[in-house]
Amino acid sequence: MANGSASAHPLAPNPVLDPGHNFNSIGDKINAVVLTPKFRPGWVLGLLISFGLLNVLLVSVAWTIFRGVGVWGINIPVGWGFAIVNFVWWIGIGHAGTLISAILLLLNQKWRNSINRFAEAMTLFAVACAGLFPLLHMGRPWFFYWMMPIPLPQALLPQFRSPLVWDVFAVSTYATVSALFWLVGLIPDFATLRDKAVNPIVKRLFGVLSLGWRGAASHWHNYEMTYLLLAGLSTPLVVSVHTVVSFDFSVGVIPGWHATIFPPYFVAGAIYSGFAMVLTLAIPTRAAYNMKDFITDRHLDNMAKIMLATSLMVSYGYGSEVFFAWYSASNWEKYMMFDNRMSGPYMFFYWSLIFCNFIVPQLLWSKKVRTNTVILFIISIIVNIGMWLERFIIVVTSLSRDFLPSSWGMYYPTVWDFGVYFGTIGLFLTLMFLFVRFVPIMSAFEMKLLLPESKVKGGHH
Amino acid sequence: MEITANYNPPDSGPAARKFLALGVIGLIVFGIGYTVNKTQFYNSYLLAYIFWTNMALGALMLTMLQHLTGGAWGVVSRRILESATRTLWVMVPLILPILFGGMHSLYEWTHTDVVKADPILIAKAPYLNETFFIIRTVAYFVLWLGLITLLNRWSAQQDKSLESAVPATKSMRWISGPGLIVYALTMTFASVDWMMSLDPHWYSTMYPVIFVVGQVLGTFTLLIITMVWLSGREPMSKYITKAHIHDLGKLMLAFVMLWAYVSFSQFLIMWQGNVAEETPWYMIRKKDGWQYLAIVLFVFHFALPFLLLLSRDLKKNVRKLAAVAGLLMFMRYVDLFWLLRPRNEWMFEKAAEAHDKSGHVFGPHLTHSFTWMDFAALIGFGGVWLGFFLLELKKRPLLPVNDPNFEEALNHVGH
Amino acid sequence: MEATPTTGIYGLMAEFDTPTQITEAAEKAYAAGYRKMDAYTPFPVEEVCHAMQMPKSKMSLIVLTGGILGGIGGFLLQVWTACVYYPLNIGGRPNFSWPSFIPITFECTVLLGALSAVLGMIFLNDLPLPYHPVFNNPRFNRASQDKFFLCIEADDPKFNAADTRKFLESLHPVEVAEIEK
Repeated sequence: MANGSASAHPLAPNPVLDPGHNFNSIGDKINAVVLTPKFRPGWVLGLLISFGLLNVLLVSVAWTIFRGVGVWGINIPVGWGFAIVNFVWWIGIGHAGTLISAILLLLNQKWRNSINRFAEAMTLFAVACAGLFPLLHMGRPWFFYWMMPIPLPQALLPQFRSPLVWDVFAVSTYATVSALFWLVGLIPDFATLRDKAVNPIVKRLFGVLSLGWRGAASHWHNYEMTYLLLAGLSTPLVVSVHTVVSFDFSVGVIPGWHATIFPPYFVAGAIYSGFAMVLTLAIPTRAAYNMKDFITDRHLDNMAKIMLATSLMVSYGYGSEVFFAWYSASNWEKYMMFDNRMSGPYMFFYWSLIFCNFIVPQLLWSKKVRTNTVILFIISIIVNIGMWLERFIIVVTSLSRDFLPSSWGMYYPTVWDFGVYFGTIGLFLTLMFLFVRFVPIMSAFEMKLLLPESKVKGGHH
Repeated sequence: MEITANYNPPDSGPAARKFLALGVIGLIVFGIGYTVNKTQFYNSYLLAYIFWTNMALGALMLTMLQHLTGGAWGVVSRRILESATRTLWVMVPLILPILFGGMHSLYEWTHTDVVKADPILIAKAPYLNETFFIIRTVAYFVLWLGLITLLNRWSAQQDKSLESAVPATKSMRWISGPGLIVYALTMTFASVDWMMSLDPHWYSTMYPVIFVVGQVLGTFTLLIITMVWLSGREPMSKYITKAHIHDLGKLMLAFVMLWAYVSFSQFLIMWQGNVAEETPWYMIRKKDGWQYLAIVLFVFHFALPFLLLLSRDLKKNVRKLAAVAGLLMFMRYVDLFWLLRPRNEWMFEKAAEAHDKSGHVFGPHLTHSFTWMDFAALIGFGGVWLGFFLLELKKRPLLPVNDPNFEEALNHVGH
Repeated sequence: MEATPTTGIYGLMAEFDTPTQITEAAEKAYAAGYRKMDAYTPFPVEEVCHAMQMPKSKMSLIVLTGGILGGIGGFLLQVWTACVYYPLNIGGRPNFSWPSFIPITFECTVLLGALSAVLGMIFLNDLPLPYHPVFNNPRFNRASQDKFFLCIEADDPKFNAADTRKFLESLHPVEVAEIEK
């Protein structure tokens, strides 16, 4: 691009790839992580801890299925509890992966090329964790296929006017399309691994996974178009998924749920939490695998900026709810906002969420904070917590106090609620540990496109 | 870097004068409307005023956005956007008739007798009252014009030399973040004040978002038409490539989808929720012919442009893209018409009872249909606005040569 | 794999170091009248496709068709369920509650669009393919890493082992290899 031009602008952005790389060094560095027969002790330890947490999930889920969802803290009036809080939290985390892989591709943001694989994997695992919760919350998860449009003998078809059924379609479509996008992106990299592997079994395995990819120009021709089209489809899809999740609440009439701003506000929140999670995972990973030349400080800076922007959007949502609760002049809306959320039994969580999601991220205005990995890591954890609190506040405060004071009640999660929640974190981290070891964590062929020598000189067009 | 190449705009003076003349004629004809039907006059006034002011405000938003995001589209369109923002000065005196004359003809909540009998309006009175309304509107303009002045000043400073460009660029980037916050907040309250409070019982948290998305879409249509116009003329034909216009087409497509998304989401939530406080707003829009306008909006504001803009070939064909932008610009007006004009029976009853100072009963009152006054107002404000826009456009070079992304933007080939 | 070695060869393959070289090579080969050929690159090089005058990819059409079918199918599924198969009064809403059918219609559009994108790509590219002659070149494993190959196939009417080799060598490749079928 502008390399070689003598008068580089003093404010021109840093390169997205540290200098000194060529086609081979990129591929070797990424693939070495996968092809080495060694296991690093840190990785083994992390996997074991995550696997331990995963076992907490297995025990909790087994007990939940064995005894029924009564072991959770849910009851009337708060029938949704942790299950839905965690569902929304996890699915929101997934959104950043699709945003990075699809939206930033369409916007021609080249810095995405080194983080998209990683973020897409995060999406898949987060969606897997998310899917568990509604499944278990149904009480009889073995009847999950009743939600599918299958003409069963008892003439049960889904109630298509229910947003919960929309959710089934949205989340399953999202999981499918994210997996397809991820796998399509992996085909050329599997081919590279096939060609580089020494161990014949590994070679054969990657040969099968690569579908016999040989990098023909006629194939790339269709492949590039497919990749762009999938990005074009994923972009509205990712928006629709959290929109449908927001409909779960907003088409209901309960004060605090029935707000028309919910769709974009939920989408912004999803991206916010997703970028927080990408940072939470990327900062340690790039240190562990010494990938600072691929995931540069500019990447962290950009992601921090997106986090700041989405933080402000989410905070706009909080503010908008407050203003319109007053402006509506509706007693229910005013009570919900001023007497319940802000000063009711859950006020500690409301103000904590404001602290985590609005106040703390203001630090990101400072460039120093954005490029300090330790502080950034801490902020990303705080934002993850804040976004969990946000969903908790939405689900619990509104349900615990609806229109009729005689039907009010408090919600107290049980140890099994926490067991399932922390257990899914174990599932997520286990999958992430397996991923970074056995799949190339960066898209090598897209990284090669960042090199100036990947460009054809002389303006052939 | 000194400006060696010629980035000067073509002489838009003659075109500007024609637009100004047209605008003055339109405004004179429109002025006659005041003597015919004051209610109709102010409603037409508000609609045309918001339609054209939106162009300037959307340009302010996009100027700040491109400072933050970078990207080739921002570099090549920034001077056009900045020219559009500077026209906001013209819109300042034009808001005065609404603030100091039109409010009674527009807003139910300015009538103390109506408010007294209505507990909801009493509850809202601390916000919805004439004094505070005027204070707020003044505050919006002060903030907007402050941002516009600074951004334009620094932008001129950026052109002088590479040394002066560094602090200027930094300043523009520095102000754009907080500037967008100011923009979001002022647009929220402005849309509540000017538009939502036409139906003072109704509220929707999505409404400001719909307003902003529509506003920015409107600016994109103007931007694309202007870019296509400039790209066909020396000297810009040398610099603006199909790739630049293709990018703007993509962004316009994104905003078409975004508009459909926010508009439909609001509708679905209210339709499915079916709460008595909210549904009236849609109830009055599903009868008296408004439902057909809704279908027109669905087809021509979303479905047709969406399908057309999906085509890559169309987005790369500047003439066709300009035609779609023209259609969308017109549909922006239709959308605002659909948002602003359908009104509760209050307007008609009140207008029937109302007397002006000389004791004349108003004749025909606020109508449901598009009137000659709407047309005259649209042409009048439009001519004046476009005339000033073209005059501003020729004041500065059309490309910010010292922008950090300048070279990359000019070499942009896209895919 | 164990097909008996045929008398013929699959083609001649030239190896290059840079995307610029392969693009120029493809351009010259096309100009020289070769049509049955393909370039092999470690990452997409759009210019090579232009150089070989490849027709526009059919992917957009496939995805558009899939998406439209998905959307129509999804909408009709809901209408049929709610209005024909099992009409049920839910909160007084009409059977034909079209606004509530939009989200699933959208999801079905995207789902079928994406599925047809992936399946269409796999089908058009003739994947999965367990065996292909180009892998017989021992240096071809570099095609997925850092080298660029141009293979002119023996099926091409203009192909002639000696002339084509001479032509390829005139393009200054790293080497020219004969590829067995």
